[in-house]
This record gives sequence, structure tokens and C-alpha cells, in this order.
Amino acid sequence: MIVDCHTHWGICWEDRDAGDPSAWLAVLDHHGVDAAFVMGHYNIHRLDRCTGDNDRLASLRDRVPERLWPFGSVWPQQGDEAVAEARRCLDDLGMRGLKFHPWIQGFSTADPVFGELCALAGERGRPVIFHDGTPCYSQPEQIAGLARRFPQTTFVLGHSGLLWSWRSALEAARQPNIWLCLCGPHMRGVEELCRRADGDRILWGSDFGFGWSDPIEYRLALLRAADVGADARERILGVNPARLLEGAAR
Amino acid sequence: MTIDGYCTLGTDREYDLTEAALLEALDAAEVGRAVIAPVDRCLAVANREGNDAMRQTASRHPERFIPSCSANPWYGSGAVEELRRAVGEGARMLVLHPAVQGYLANDELVWPVVEAAAGERVPVYIHTGPPGQATPWQVVDLAERFPQADLIVGHCGATDFWNDVVVAAQAADNVYLESSLARPFLFAGYLKQTGAARGIMGSYAPLNELTFEWEQMRLALPPEYMEAVCGGNLRRLLEKRGAL
Repeated sequence: MIVDCHTHWGICWEDRDAGDPSAWLAVLDHHGVDAAFVMGHYNIHRLDRCTGDNDRLASLRDRVPERLWPFGSVWPQQGDEAVAEARRCLDDLGMRGLKFHPWIQGFSTADPVFGELCALAGERGRPVIFHDGTPCYSQPEQIAGLARRFPQTTFVLGHSGLLWSWRSALEAARQPNIWLCLCGPHMRGVEELCRRADGDRILWGSDFGFGWSDPIEYRLALLRAADVGADARERILGVNPARLLEGAAR
Repeated sequence: MTIDGYCTLGTDREYDLTEAALLEALDAAEVGRAVIAPVDRCLAVANREGNDAMRQTASRHPERFIPSCSANPWYGSGAVEELRRAVGEGARMLVLHPAVQGYLANDELVWPVVEAAAGERVPVYIHTGPPGQATPWQVVDLAERFPQADLIVGHCGATDFWNDVVVAAQAADNVYLESSLARPFLFAGYLKQTGAARGIMGSYAPLNELTFEWEQMRLALPPEYMEAVCGGNLRRLLEKRGAL
């Protein structure tokens, strides 16, 4: 079982395929990926396209519910409207969680409305996935701050600190409600994270879909070539993703 | 001739690449030569120790290893002296790591060593990327100020300055893009916009696994780019100081 825990229904895919995931899924098939956490791109890129993109993610899921596990997004700058849209995502559209890209969306993790959103996700038992590894709004330390403030909410560092902040991600993962997604660090970083962090809270992802390039080949091969042990690899690729969703939906 | 544009040789924290292991990896990847660079501690403070280690290692395998050197600009005139000493003893590239060494890449602090490197006809490799001490456009500032210098954008600003790297490279002819951490599946796309003459393949072993990176790069690069990117472009820069 291989679950890619970091994919996007990208703007370029939507503009070409208009909600038809066939070609997108064929790439997953090519690499033997069984299921994916699918996040939007329009919804984190354009405020005016956010709600529509959330609807689209749910629609994609409805075509292949066993394979696509959607995560919606909202913009805290919208205040009460953002909270209402988050409720709609989780309660009406059946999203598996929420996804935020504070760097692109342009908000601080200290935003009070964002705090409401984190609390809501915790109440609903759904994880919150982040772009991380980027100053000044998406540092692992800032997300660890949220984990401290909202201990009932599960947070996922969607990039495990990317390339230069994997040590920060490791520090953040001391918080028991922080999970790491191996989608960005170099091979040595991947090995060190697997060796030193809680192996039951590590996921794998590719970032596939953000553009036309195919990062799955590289990032899956990297994890397979890394010195992390077969048992850990199996948990990361197939066991932990299900645990995250089941556990967070307690 | 294939050349790996950047490998860190030595043992320090997460670095653990020995001379024998690098030779073995180069053989396995069918790569002829590698530029070797010191570990972070020797980039930051123990410049001479690292530079001497690179020279001594390369002298044992002159047909395989190309020594680089570093001089932290905070040492002022001492940095220029150390650069000239190291180059005089065989170093072929200056390595700057602003995030590790503690300045912004385009800070006036850096100018004397870049100017000296240009005078010595050795390219300057600059580690770029988050958190922002070294970005593609900062390298362009240096490239404009020192048109005789060859500036290598290590890692293409990966990841978060990837937006900038193509347009920045297009803004200055003396800027080159090194692949490590930029990932082969994206790097080939950059070169389609900048031209293959700007590309330099580097593995950044041991943080990346050398044979894996070369295998992936050979899968991703168009065949017509291979010779230039996998050694030809870098060789042209390195041989400004004389044949390798």
C-alpha cells in the first residue's frame, strides 16, 4: 500500500482537464501509488476561486473515493466567512482535513481567526496540513507553536522543513500532535528524521500536481534508496497515513 | 569528461563522506571527477584546515578530485589572503555559504573575496536557498558588480526561490545554475529556459546519494544537454586557470 500524502489538484491540471482526474490518476498508477491526500491549488492561490476549488476537490473524491482523500482550504483574512467555509468543508463536503500555505496565502499563524480554524479542526478530529520550511509565515517552529496552543489538533508539516529546516522539523516533532511528511528533505535529512523522530508519525509525499513535472519518480525512489529500514518504509508509505486519518477522526 | 560539481568531503555532523567512499561512488556512477568541498565547520571558521584537507586529498587522486576552497569574508583581508594561498596551492573554486558563514550574499563584505576570485580566474560557488541569506537575485547583484567573475548559484535557490532562478539567470551572462537540491525533474525545465550552457550537475553528496542523483539526472536531462551539463560547462570555467 502506497499513499502519497502530499499532492495537489494543480491549476494547470484543472485548466486543461476541467475536473477530470483520469490523466492525473494515470500518473499515480504508473508509480504504483494507491491513494493520495489531494489538496487544491486554486484554493490556496486565489481567494476568489477558493470555494469553487473546495467543491471541485469533493467532486474529484466522489469519482474515486477509495483513492482520493481531499483536504480543503480557506483564507483566515475572511474572518467569519472563513470559519463557515471550513465548517462546510469538514461537515458537508466530508473533507479529511484542512490544508494551509501561509506563505502563499499571506497570513500569520498568529492570526486570531486562524486560531479558530485550528480549534475547529481539533473539535472535528481532522488534521491540518501545512506548507512548511519557509520564512516568514511557514516555519516549523511557528507550526510547533500552534501545536502547543491547540493540543487537541493534529498538525502535519507537509514538507518536514524542506531542505534547510529539517532540523527545525525534528524539533517541532517533539510536540506529540505534530506529524512529518517526507516531501522535500534531501536523502540524509530523510534518514536522520526517520532515525530520530517518532516513526509512527511520519508520512511520505511527492507534491505531485503543483505543475506538470512528475516528482513521484524521484521522491519515491529516494525513500526506497534511503537507509531507513524496510519496516519503517512500510509504515511511512502505507500504515501511518491511515492511522493519521483514523486517529485524527477519533 | 563528466564532473560532479559539488561534493562535501569529510566527517562532521551529518557529513560522513570519506575519500574511499567518494571514489567508489564516482566509479559506480561512471563519473570521472568531482569537485570536493570542506564540511560546514571548515566553511564557517576553520577555513585553512578545510582548504588544506581538500588540497591534500586531491593531490592523492589528481585525476579524480578537483579541490575547492573557502574563505569566510568576515576575516576581511585575511580571507583574501587565504583564498590566494589556497588557489596558489591548487584550489580551483571558491565556495561561499552565506547562511553558514553569516552574511547576505550581496553584502559589501563579500566583494573583496569575489573580486579576488575573479582575479585568480576561479569560479565562485554560492550555496543558495532559504532562509534567504543567499538568493538567485543576490547572486545577480554580484554578477553585475563583478562581470569578470563566474558565479554559480548552488542549488538554484531551492526550494523557495525557485520562482526566481530562471529570470535571474537570464539577467546575467556570468551566472550558472548548479543542480543539487533543485532536483532533476525541475532542473531540466530550468535549462530549457536558460539554455543548457548555464547548467552544472552537482550531487551535493553525501547529503544526497551520489549514484542516485546521477541516475536521476541522466533520466531527466535531454540527451543533447548531457555533455555540457554533466561536465562540459564546469570544465570550461575551471580551466580558465589552466588545464585540469
